Amino acid sequence: MNELLWFVSRATGTASIVLLTAVLVLGALTAGRRSRALSQTVVVGLHRSLALGTSAFLLAHIGTAVLETYVSIDWISAFVPFTAGYRPLWVGLGTLAFDIVLAVVATSLLRHRLSRRAWKAVHLMAFALWPLALVHGYAMGTSNEPLLRLVPVACAVVGGLALTWRALARHADQERRQAILTQEWS
Amino acid sequence: MNLVELLDQSGLTGRGGAAFSTATKVRAAHEHRAALVVNACDGEIGAVKDAYVVEHHLAALVRGATLVGGRRVRYAAHRGSATEARLRAAGLDVLSAPARYVSSEETSLISLAQGGLARPMTKRQPFVMGGADSEGRRIRPTVVLNAETLWRVAQVVEHGPHWFRAQGLPKEPGPRLVGVGGAVSRPGVIATSAGIPLRDIVAAAEGDLDRSGPVIVGGLGGVLLSRAEAAAAPWSTEGLRPFGGRPGPGVVHVLDPDACPVVELARWFDHAAGESAGQCGPCMFGLPAIAADWRELAAGASPAPARQRLLRRTASVTGRGACRFPDGVAGLATSALRVLSDHLADHASGHCAAGQTSRSSHDRVLAH
Amino acid sequence: MTASSPTDRAAVRVDRVACTGHGVCASLLPGSIRLDEWGYPVVLTPAEGGVDDGDQARAAAVRLCPAMALYAGRPS
Repeated sequence: MNELLWFVSRATGTASIVLLTAVLVLGALTAGRRSRALSQTVVVGLHRSLALGTSAFLLAHIGTAVLETYVSIDWISAFVPFTAGYRPLWVGLGTLAFDIVLAVVATSLLRHRLSRRAWKAVHLMAFALWPLALVHGYAMGTSNEPLLRLVPVACAVVGGLALTWRALARHADQERRQAILTQEWS
Repeated sequence: MNLVELLDQSGLTGRGGAAFSTATKVRAAHEHRAALVVNACDGEIGAVKDAYVVEHHLAALVRGATLVGGRRVRYAAHRGSATEARLRAAGLDVLSAPARYVSSEETSLISLAQGGLARPMTKRQPFVMGGADSEGRRIRPTVVLNAETLWRVAQVVEHGPHWFRAQGLPKEPGPRLVGVGGAVSRPGVIATSAGIPLRDIVAAAEGDLDRSGPVIVGGLGGVLLSRAEAAAAPWSTEGLRPFGGRPGPGVVHVLDPDACPVVELARWFDHAAGESAGQCGPCMFGLPAIAADWRELAAGASPAPARQRLLRRTASVTGRGACRFPDGVAGLATSALRVLSDHLADHASGHCAAGQTSRSSHDRVLAH
Repeated sequence: MTASSPTDRAAVRVDRVACTGHGVCASLLPGSIRLDEWGYPVVLTPAEGGVDDGDQARAAAVRLCPAMALYAGRPS
């Protein structure tokens, strides 16, 4: 049983990293050129659905990690970073990432009740959450299963490309807004 | 009789452009304990009457403002203007607005008053009851009234509603100020009222509508009238409605008969294109497009398609911004197309009637 | 907010400052919203050929706009 839990924990953890990266890429695609070929509706819809899916896998990952008794990770350390008995630093990074996920998901579900500023500030923390998750995933991968470590590396490359594209993408609306904002308005 | 009842009886409406019932606005302001921003910006192109009120009737203005806003009153004027200096010298709480066209718009002043930028805000509900901007920042209940309107409030309280109604028309009572400028010998503020012929108002500024060029009524947010139309029109809502115009902000600009009105309007539309607050897509892309379409018409190139494109774009930007700036420019462009259609035909065939200017000298002006 | 009567349809309104032209609304409300030449929504009135897309579609559009630029309200 314990071995099963450990296995499921690593599998769902790996899946979470892949899904999280997909969510990040989709989020990046909402910026930049409004390409008709790539429907914004599909991108936004997938971004939301996959985010919820990621959360489900993440909960399974954390739940099984806590429940299995092979390593010492209790419920507290699932929420409070760096308090686990087992590899507190690397597990802690994952916990920190999970805390940010909670904040992002909560503010997104309550989006229409919050000010746009508040929502945006928390949502931007996703840029911190993603690398934390990747480092956590890489560090937790054991040396006799090199494939597991390959996943966060591949995700880092793909996500990095998407973020680079987002940073470089020209968008007429954004450019015009920023150009006019440099004028005297106060 | 309380203030709101007095104002209701007098029939005073806003003198800033929207002509909304002042009684209704003041009632709402009191109900929500709203702060007041006095708009003394003269934001419309050619506007001078707010400055006039501040210069000649400041005490009455302050009385009117205090009746509406109590201790929560700020006086808005453009940065660096003589009006701003006068207000400061009088020890009043001044809201210094950047000298941008849309910065004197109602919601721009409200935003600025609360520490934001002087740019219009989306109005989901009137800001007299408070609200929020598009970022979610809370906006306290605030109302904006034009300087002349508040001066009239003090006058109604002092002289009574009957005195007020003795001038003007039953539906548009009371004295009004109009700023007349352009090709007139004595530009400035004319004291008048609704129903007075526009030709008399222009004559009071020593202009002559029998010998002038076309007339822009209401500034950049107004309409163009031909000389003949202006010479026959009364200064009133009914009188200006056939031309798509309104008394509005009280600005009349008479064009020079010897100058090309197409070139003059090109300057206005170019100016408009550069004055977008850059917040709403249809405005920040549509106004430069309209200005470009007008230049194309002025250059005589493909008049029918350019005309169609211009008409389509003016219809498109109308009602699709946070404020009425694009609507105003669209209205001016549509009216200019109508009034100047013969003149534009001349341009299309290579010459310009006004002053027999050759097309080549036009192109130089337009190209600058 | 009072409930809308059948003859007084609730519509979507656009916060033009927040709108950055993603176009999600136009694909979710094909009967009542089309995009202009720059990608910004035009809300069609019945007179302009606008067709009611239904409450569910409207609610989805309000929820899914990435800029949160859509809100419910009667057209002015």
